[in-house]
Amino acid sequence: MAAKSLLDQLMEALRCLPGVGPRSAQRMAFYLLERNREGGLHLSRVLADAMQRIGRCERCRTLSETELCTLCASPRRNSNQICVVETPAEVTALEQATNYEGRYFVLGGRLSPLDGIGPREIGLDRLEKLLLEGAVEELILATNPTVEGEATAHYIGEIARVKGIKVTRIAHGVPLGGELEYVDGGTLLHAFAGRREY
Amino acid sequence: MIERSALHPAFILHRRPFSNTSLLIECFSLSHGRFPAVAKGAIRGSSASAGLLQPFQPLLIRWSGRGEVKTLNFYEAAAPNMTLQGQVLYCGFYLNELLVRLLQREDPHEQLFGLYGSTLTKLSQGKSVEPVLRRFEIELLDQLGFGLVLDRNVEDGSPLVPKQRYHYQIERGPVPCSNTDPSGFSGATLIGLRDDQPLDRASQTEARTLTRYVLRYYLGDRPLKSRELFRASREK
Repeated sequence: MAAKSLLDQLMEALRCLPGVGPRSAQRMAFYLLERNREGGLHLSRVLADAMQRIGRCERCRTLSETELCTLCASPRRNSNQICVVETPAEVTALEQATNYEGRYFVLGGRLSPLDGIGPREIGLDRLEKLLLEGAVEELILATNPTVEGEATAHYIGEIARVKGIKVTRIAHGVPLGGELEYVDGGTLLHAFAGRREY
Repeated sequence: MIERSALHPAFILHRRPFSNTSLLIECFSLSHGRFPAVAKGAIRGSSASAGLLQPFQPLLIRWSGRGEVKTLNFYEAAAPNMTLQGQVLYCGFYLNELLVRLLQREDPHEQLFGLYGSTLTKLSQGKSVEPVLRRFEIELLDQLGFGLVLDRNVEDGSPLVPKQRYHYQIERGPVPCSNTDPSGFSGATLIGLRDDQPLDRASQTEARTLTRYVLRYYLGDRPLKSRELFRASREK
């Protein structure tokens, strides 16, 4: 069998991206080769660089090219509060949407015994160390409102409570602009149980 | 053959993301046992029904497909979600892990399905966890054909004596041992388990050791991951 042509290799490589099938991979490959070689070269350089240099922040485990990510290194962030999230994408989402000024901790997953993910796999030993340093006053649990997310939140909450740290959980409820009639029962239940004085 | 229009009661034991917006779920249904299925588009945006496809939610589902992995066509809630919280949630994971590890795929167990549902209900009502789990473990083994012998001394067929201590031989049953042997179980524990009676503290510990010992035999070498959660929360 003849070795695969470079073109075939390129198309196959592009398929590692989410949502890219053979057809879109072919289109991307032809576009880069025929229309935008410069863009392609630039992409290849940045991609190689990013893959090699981006690691995890030593403190919060988010993606970072330096030992400490910009958020952890910033003196302006408040280290009394730590917000626990599942993925680095959620850090970005929260940063864009809220004016939260504390720091983060990224689990990189959630407790899920059937996937073989236990406390150690999501870096809870490191979180515990962080809590032991003593500066933390409030731990905000921002794991997803799924069954696994709840279990993770509970587990972390217990660790923090033992150390006398205030634990809060983000609210779940009716989405803005939503209509009660169409909201699912579980969400509505949460929203109702978590009602606040107005 | 699956009736196209019928809805089947089911639970989801496990779910994981699959391609962009789909979920690969492990279903446990009343009529067809455990099987994997794909729920297409289940996590797209803020789909109101996405929250339904979660463990411990009683569902009515319809699926199609002939291969091993089915396609989930329709689902709706059969009852409100079992609200399991904290420690009890870990128990739920434990039940699911046991079912996934011990049940063959596409092997219907109607009674087991009922047992699973009622166990979840009991857990969600805040009943004491240990007896509920023991009952589940014992009946699970029973249903799978590995039932424990808890009514007689297998050496001579005589009834168990509460004061006597017994070794439990896997696939065989209790045999008497010396009263000072720490690896033995008291007759009272075995009889209590058989009759589903409330156990005292020492017997509860013994019962846990017994079911754990027997389950380990059928589960093989790979330990149950959900136990880590309990272990860590006991250490604290």
